[in-house]
Amino acid sequence: MQVDIHAPYKDRIRQALGDPNLRVAVSKATDRMDNARNASMDEIEGERLRSQLRQMKQNVLRNWPDYLQELETNLRQNGCVVHWAEGIEDAQAIVKDIALQNSAKLVVKAKSMATEEIHLNHAMEEAGLRVVETDLGEYIIQLADEPPSHIVAPVIHKRMEEIAEVFQEKLDMPVTRDPTKMTSLARARLRKEFFAADIGISGCNFAIAETGTICIVTNEGNGRMVSSMPRVYVAVMGIEKLVPTVEDAFLQLQALCRSATGQQFTVYCSMTSGPRRKGDVDGPEQVHVVLLDNGRTRMFARGYGEALMCIRCGACLNACPVYQEIGGHAYGSTYNGPIGAVITPALAPEITQFKELPHATSLCGACREACPVKIDLPRLLLDLRSDLVQQGASPTTEALGIKSYSALMSSRRMYESLGKLASIGSNVYAGMSGGNIKFMPPPLNGWTAYRDFAPFARKSFRDWWKERSKKRQRA
Amino acid sequence: MSTRDNILASLRETLRQPDLPFPLLDSPPLTQAERMTVTSASGGLWAQAERFAQEIAAVKGTCELLETETEARLAIVSRLQIWVEEEQAARKTADAERAEDWDVLCWPPAQLHVEGLTHILKETGFKLIEPTDLHDPEQRERIRPVRAGVTSVEAAFASTGSFVVGAGGANARAASLTPFRHLVVVPFSRLFATAEDWLAEMRYAGGLDAYIRRSRNISIVTGPSKSADLEGNLTLGVHGPKVVHAILFDDVQE
Repeated sequence: MQVDIHAPYKDRIRQALGDPNLRVAVSKATDRMDNARNASMDEIEGERLRSQLRQMKQNVLRNWPDYLQELETNLRQNGCVVHWAEGIEDAQAIVKDIALQNSAKLVVKAKSMATEEIHLNHAMEEAGLRVVETDLGEYIIQLADEPPSHIVAPVIHKRMEEIAEVFQEKLDMPVTRDPTKMTSLARARLRKEFFAADIGISGCNFAIAETGTICIVTNEGNGRMVSSMPRVYVAVMGIEKLVPTVEDAFLQLQALCRSATGQQFTVYCSMTSGPRRKGDVDGPEQVHVVLLDNGRTRMFARGYGEALMCIRCGACLNACPVYQEIGGHAYGSTYNGPIGAVITPALAPEITQFKELPHATSLCGACREACPVKIDLPRLLLDLRSDLVQQGASPTTEALGIKSYSALMSSRRMYESLGKLASIGSNVYAGMSGGNIKFMPPPLNGWTAYRDFAPFARKSFRDWWKERSKKRQRA
Repeated sequence: MSTRDNILASLRETLRQPDLPFPLLDSPPLTQAERMTVTSASGGLWAQAERFAQEIAAVKGTCELLETETEARLAIVSRLQIWVEEEQAARKTADAERAEDWDVLCWPPAQLHVEGLTHILKETGFKLIEPTDLHDPEQRERIRPVRAGVTSVEAAFASTGSFVVGAGGANARAASLTPFRHLVVVPFSRLFATAEDWLAEMRYAGGLDAYIRRSRNISIVTGPSKSADLEGNLTLGVHGPKVVHAILFDDVQE
């Protein structure tokens, strides 16, 4: 069974928990990546790296508009075309326009969360272009018509036999589960697309303000392909993905690689500072950079700036006991896991649009420990819950419950009599079902569905204290 | 106001809020002096070369360390010959000995820091493909079947087994990207203990930012192309080279 990302929240979670393949695949892969991250951070002064990255990113946000302008100026000087996009429609229109002006038909894409965010593939396809995802994982889910379920490992939710089925069905692959053969097949297919494509599109892992350089990080080499082979290269970058200097870029690169997959460096980091010049053998003739807001300025103004330091390594997903169980699709949003639960509502026009997500967590704090920028995700989740209550977005039962609780707690007499009533009632009821309460009516059945509920003490503490004092006086 | 101005104005307005929870008013940049060097490699050039070999092996690349340029020249030729044999052995079809196996997508030999390479390669039967414009459909088609690429490096980092390939002029990006096998020539004079050492040297020489901009594109490469997308199974050669072989040689003679 697959998770229907458009289903209601609880249905999605039920579907995810009911899919044994998903749970095996996700828990295996997240364990592997989490262990790799821990090992590679232990090899070096990991704590120092995290502190320094945090300092650097915090400085970027403090001087955000200045660094953005510096980047823009340098990109322009390097010969890049800079576009600013406020929202999804703007961004789609900008990229479609570039395609139109270049009479493009075929687009090759490297894995990018920013383009997922603006549903770019869909928009380009509607405009009559063919869009091919070239990251092996993205290619598989594009063939299967699914969204990515992890920030760095998009097909983490599928097992080998499921991937083989997709290849057999969509690419007429002979029956095999040999990963080497499957990879060769994808290489051959995608190589044709790289050589024929009119436009290459990627995201941007980070951009260097002082030099006007777009950096993309891949292990497969598709990032280099899309930024080198087609005549036109478009990078879509969230406006927060900035580093001040080249040295800062190398610091973040190493923190990113270690946190994402436990590597010292990814196989490729491609740093593009502009289009090909006269006399260069290869490289794109046009380089476009789309600076995407899509809620980031809003999120900053709302006080959720800390989460804008995120470098999209996925470490918090791998460490999260909730993500490990339900995978990414159950969140129903482009970004998932702990960081997704924070930024999805925080980026949205109204945080109430994603009011379940800040509750899709046990607040255990593993994400904060894993984060290379030390983002305090549990606190941000609590802030969101608090904002949701302020905006009256809590469910009626919860609001009613809190109201009656405060009424109850502010009257001693009412509290005591209700306590007595609960004690008598629960003990009689528990006596009938053999010591513990096995069933309670809704909404309390949420507890008894999985465990017993012990009856209240027969005697209240105050009564017990009173009797005890009397006894002592007599003695 | 334009979108650009709106975005910048909104950010400035947020930063003016006196009670903004984040970022703190006092958020100094990370200075050159305090920024850490993430990895380390000790010893002289030979020790560093050995470390490079060890690190590149850990990411499934291979490596040879040689004492002189002459040895390096021979090693390049014999490595390419071994590759031709491997290609031909792997091909079980009628054209087992196709001529394209002898094609090499190469940076101009003058850029490879090894004298006389063109001559010896041509003499041993190799055909150097030297494209001038890869947006020209004919030249583009020409490089497609090429199975081996030869480049040098801007720099190599011992502590991680990484190297930096630049692009521009006659140095094609494709040479280190599209062929199935990549042979990379690393003179010791380009070998640094760490990435940070290279950056520091470039910075103090006063040219790091100018260098990055001038390069149009540089790629830091660490081993052969790979993926773990197939349920965690490591597969090599997804889009870039499946085989990466580095030839390091002592051009410094300590």
